[in-house]
Amino acid sequence: MTNVGEAVPLSVSAAQPSARERIWYPYLLIAPSMLTLTVVSLIPFLYTVYLSVHAAKFGRVTDFVGADNYITLLTDARFWNSVGTAVIFVAIAVPIEFMLGLVGALILNQNVRGRSILIPLLFMPTMMAPIVVGLLWKIMLAGSWGLISYNVLERFHLIGQTSIFASSDLALYALIFVDIWQWTPFMMLAFFAGLQALPLGPYRAAAVDGANSVQVFFNITLPMLMPLLVVIGLLRFIDAFKVFDTVYILTGGGPGIATETPSILANKMTFEFWNIGEASALAVLVWIAFFAFCNVFYQIAKKRLNAF
Amino acid sequence: MKRGLYSAPAVVAVSLSLLAGSAASAEDSFYATAAAPYKGTTIRVLDEITPLQETLSKIVPEFEKETGIKVEWELLNHFEVINKGQADMLSGRGYYDAVMLHGFQVGPMLSAGAIKPIDDMVKDSKLNNPKLDTADFIPGPYKSLAFANGKQLGFINWNYNQVYWARADLLNNQEEQAAFKAKYGYDLAPAKTIEQMRDIAEFFTRKKGEKLAGKPLESDFYGIVLEGIKGGSTFGTLWRDFIKNYGGDIMDAEGHPTFDRPENIEALKMWAALWKFAPPGIAEYSLVDVPTVMGKGIAAQTLAWSDFVLGVDKPGVSPYAGQFVYAPIPVKAGVTTPRSAEAEPSITIITAGSKHPEATFLFLEWLVDKKQQEKLIELGQGGVPVRETSWAVPAIKSSSNPTLYAAMKSTLDVGTAKPRMPKFYEIYDQLSGIAQEVGLGKLSPEEGAKKGQAEMLKLCDKCLL
Repeated sequence: MTNVGEAVPLSVSAAQPSARERIWYPYLLIAPSMLTLTVVSLIPFLYTVYLSVHAAKFGRVTDFVGADNYITLLTDARFWNSVGTAVIFVAIAVPIEFMLGLVGALILNQNVRGRSILIPLLFMPTMMAPIVVGLLWKIMLAGSWGLISYNVLERFHLIGQTSIFASSDLALYALIFVDIWQWTPFMMLAFFAGLQALPLGPYRAAAVDGANSVQVFFNITLPMLMPLLVVIGLLRFIDAFKVFDTVYILTGGGPGIATETPSILANKMTFEFWNIGEASALAVLVWIAFFAFCNVFYQIAKKRLNAF
Repeated sequence: MKRGLYSAPAVVAVSLSLLAGSAASAEDSFYATAAAPYKGTTIRVLDEITPLQETLSKIVPEFEKETGIKVEWELLNHFEVINKGQADMLSGRGYYDAVMLHGFQVGPMLSAGAIKPIDDMVKDSKLNNPKLDTADFIPGPYKSLAFANGKQLGFINWNYNQVYWARADLLNNQEEQAAFKAKYGYDLAPAKTIEQMRDIAEFFTRKKGEKLAGKPLESDFYGIVLEGIKGGSTFGTLWRDFIKNYGGDIMDAEGHPTFDRPENIEALKMWAALWKFAPPGIAEYSLVDVPTVMGKGIAAQTLAWSDFVLGVDKPGVSPYAGQFVYAPIPVKAGVTTPRSAEAEPSITIITAGSKHPEATFLFLEWLVDKKQQEKLIELGQGGVPVRETSWAVPAIKSSSNPTLYAAMKSTLDVGTAKPRMPKFYEIYDQLSGIAQEVGLGKLSPEEGAKKGQAEMLKLCDKCLL
């Protein structure tokens, strides 16, 4: 019988994992998710790379063509037009969404009256399915009979005899407007959640030190919120560059190729032209660009902004 | 004397009806006999949803009853039937035994080897109905569609065609007629030439508040509406209703691109001129929107697919039902090349991956059989014939809308399937984009022609299969 307080020799195998087990145990734990990721993500990606270096037309994969699909794509003005369109889209939409979202979050954070009702209402555009957003704006901005185009734009002679989505000059900006309308509330609420989670200590200290609200924002709020701002900004950037659904519904990439983004072009190459080799090359190129961009962005965010 | 039951005329009538009955049952029994080995088989068929197919779906169960072959008949919209059908055909899975292809899809699908030719089954006396009477199919669409490289791909299932469609109430209005004659020097009537179509478009384009047929307009009214969306059948309309009627074409007989020829530039000029008299949203209008605009009564005329007319020009659908007039596709005055009209004959083919080609073949034969075609037209109180004899079916011959059928016939007399081009989709995408840009005034007709030629040459030097 063992007395209380007496050391009890524990079985080594039951209490402490062996050195070999210590090595494998973490891998064992993450194995199911890694396996799932490999099946749903890595294998399709590798197959896309494989397709991109083969002649693959009409669903039939034939000869190895090396870099031919990439060369064809990189020398195609239409590819560069789609990249340019996406860059304009992102360069205008994301900063505006970011700024409006941040300002809105700061306002919401001031204990505004009716906040509990306002927040679900603000979130509505983001909650809508893209097809609903597309149809909604198609109805609002349809040429000659749309709610906004007829009652506002035409009545006050703001755009003349044209339909917004049919105008090469206006269609892209209309899409950017729709994106801002849809995603600003998301940014706002994500930033608001971040603001709500900030510790109160630094603010109390700043108040004791007599800091004004601008100083508090730039020296306390912004640095503490930076990791969230960087992550949300990056996610929105990637998402906006890949924009497909609203463009597909509202303009289909037109008029001409005025609103054709890489995603729309890839869809066209795959499901209209059945040129799967080139479409795969396009997907790989976009992935490489994102990979490089995200790495650079991560390094900058880490070293300059202390975001990670 | 009381005329007895056995009088000579009665005997003849009864005998004739018995003969007709036995002939009909003999024909019916062909499918029942031929299908005996396939009884219990289930075939899947994908088709497009238009008023025509909706009517046909009421007849399909009769095939199941007659043969014991079960048909899973799936109807999808224009764009879905193309995407889903092609995706299945190209995958080689053979989920669908038969898929409806528009004429323009045949070239790419042939070059992909996704179609099963039916020659073996046509030669097989157990499967080939000797009374099918393929000589009765309207020849232009059938011959250009159902055969390729010496092989038969199917029969002909739908003869989609475009017609000229205008507001008869406006064209017959005396006040408008007088004003038109004073301005243009000739009588207002459905356009026979493209120039007349332009004049009518210009004449009827009016702003809100102006008068139309004596009444002030509550909103802007447009002289013409055309399909202008990128894709759809926009370029088909420009190509075969305008360019070809100007004596031009997009390629020569060998398939070399000729998009920058002078006739094409002239046609593009007219195309751009007409867009000025169309609603502002024209560049967004698809083949579905055009009949909707006509049905709502905000445009005077159009070139549209006649099968959509059937769904719009009927009481309860459009307030202007019965007030429309139809005519052949207008041609360019003074051009001596054969007239052209946009048609899209469509075919239901057996997929290369089909697991039940014989049962499917019997279904395809049955569908285009004279009996079913007549029933289809009678049930739909009209339709778009694929057989010459169908023009004589009472629902068409005694139709309350005779100008529509005269216009359809005119188109189908010259209509053909699109030339077989392996890179049809890429070419069409480029050229429909140019059609849009020229219409919107972003490119001049000369620039459009030059750009179109360059884009075609990038895709193919010889564009035909």
